[in-house]
Amino acid sequence: MSQKESPERWLLVSLGNRFRGDDGVGPYLLDKLRSQLKGSADFLESGNDMVTLVGHWKDRQVCLVDAILSDEQKSGELIRADGLADIIAPSNCTTSSHGFNLREAVDLGRVLGALPRRLEIFSICAENITSCDCLTAAVKLGAERAEQELLAFLQGDNGQS
Amino acid sequence: MAGKSKTIKVDYLARVEGEGALYIRYDDHGVHEVQLKIFEPPRFFEAFLRGRDYTEAPDITARICGICPVAYQMSALHAMENALGLVPTEPLRNLRRLLYCGEWIESHMLHISMLHAPDFLGYPNAVAMAKDHPEVVQRALEIKKTGNALVRLLGGREVHPINVRVGGFYRVPGLESFQALRPQLLEAHTLAELMTRWAAGLPFPHCEQSYECVALSNPSEYPMNEGRIVSNRGLDISVKDYEKHFREQQVPHSTALHSLLIERGAYLVGPMARYNLSYPQLSGEVRSLAEALGFRAPCNNPFKSIVVRCLEVLYALEEALRLIDTFQPPDEPYLAVEPREASGCAATEAPRGLLYHRYAMNEQGKITFAKIVAPTSQNQKTIEDDLRLMLPKFMHLPEQQLQGLCERAIRNYDPCISCSTHFLQLHLQHEPKRIS
Repeated sequence: MSQKESPERWLLVSLGNRFRGDDGVGPYLLDKLRSQLKGSADFLESGNDMVTLVGHWKDRQVCLVDAILSDEQKSGELIRADGLADIIAPSNCTTSSHGFNLREAVDLGRVLGALPRRLEIFSICAENITSCDCLTAAVKLGAERAEQELLAFLQGDNGQS
Repeated sequence: MAGKSKTIKVDYLARVEGEGALYIRYDDHGVHEVQLKIFEPPRFFEAFLRGRDYTEAPDITARICGICPVAYQMSALHAMENALGLVPTEPLRNLRRLLYCGEWIESHMLHISMLHAPDFLGYPNAVAMAKDHPEVVQRALEIKKTGNALVRLLGGREVHPINVRVGGFYRVPGLESFQALRPQLLEAHTLAELMTRWAAGLPFPHCEQSYECVALSNPSEYPMNEGRIVSNRGLDISVKDYEKHFREQQVPHSTALHSLLIERGAYLVGPMARYNLSYPQLSGEVRSLAEALGFRAPCNNPFKSIVVRCLEVLYALEEALRLIDTFQPPDEPYLAVEPREASGCAATEAPRGLLYHRYAMNEQGKITFAKIVAPTSQNQKTIEDDLRLMLPKFMHLPEQQLQGLCERAIRNYDPCISCSTHFLQLHLQHEPKRIS
């Protein structure tokens, strides 16, 4: 993450493991967006350490990108949610360390008065999360669509709302 | 009730990393069987490494753990350098120690505040605890953030660092980057002292055990990256002789191997072992605080490991400040080396204890053999022994409390069975009373 954090700038956070196939779609998107949003956003590849997130996101505008597994959605499909207004879906809570997941991170943030100002969640439905460092075709295609949507969202939204 | 067999099941014991279960068979005469069942599938990292370039080992092994990747990187680096006859320069050595300080801080604070402390105060989890004790969790998060900042600065990112390589670092930050962290480290130091005082006031069950403590030892410093392997019962060996003295064995109830001291059995690694063996190497300030709080080494009550972890965090913060204040940039960020057919080993002190790696490579530098002995597998037998020895003293407790105590006894070790979301099931079986 940038050493010069600014509460006005978006903090883009990826969850997931680069070496677990589609689970790496979050870091993959962060790599793609880093060059395009250079200087106008901060970036954090969080892996699975949700406690770290609580330490970073207070009063920030956070956009979180993660892979999820879903029986109901097609691989590569993008699902958006407002992490503060909506109930965080169980599929967004499978990434964790020591049993501390995203929902608990939000709960802890709420208790400590350490929530982000905004928490936009972009989830991409994964197909293969076995050990490999590549995305499946469907998820790669989904990632391209997500990239455009994220760019439009971040560039069209100055975060002042 | 005597005369009836009882089974207690806890489906989800949170705050333990990995997938396992505990089975205890006991009756009014004592404990007959304790099995820490680890059923998490093997992860085959040693097999993955075969055929990969020796330079890849630090980054691949870092993926074994999301909480202590630096430990895996450091053991891999040192083992490869041992194989290739590379000795890091003093400035590089200091930077590695600084990186390790960061990891100890973040890993210990996670365990202290999010996993262990709720046990002592009777909360089911850290979120519930934070409602009544927000200052404790806030303090812990601030301290942890400082550890993360150190890892980010030297490692390139907070989780699974990418800036370390065989021979040194890909890039060494400038002095100003280190100095910029000083105010945060000083603030964290103040908070860590408060945290230690708070932890020392927690209620601890009386549970003095007799351990063979095993850790690295170095006369000039508290151990992190190097030293001889010593114990409080006379073991004093070079790391290269590790496998002559320690043996791994398969047990039917665990996919993880149990590690034993040959002809001696179970032993303890981790913060308490380090503390008991290297107490004189802690700073005067840390020792003064420990003594003022009544926590002078040796500490043999595993429930008090939370205080030892706090003291290690305090030490790591002091050590980080010292290393920053004496920072000398290395002439080169890394020492270049050519691969050759060779083998080597190393052990470092992961937050959870001794972490041993051994590798062999061919003349192209491709790994032909890898062996990794993680701290949790070394402590497994000791965890079982703790339960076996502890339980008879607490048989008078209601079953639910007894069960809670068993879970706490496991968490004393901050076991890291794996790095994904899994839970541990506990089964306590109370056998019918025997009439002699």
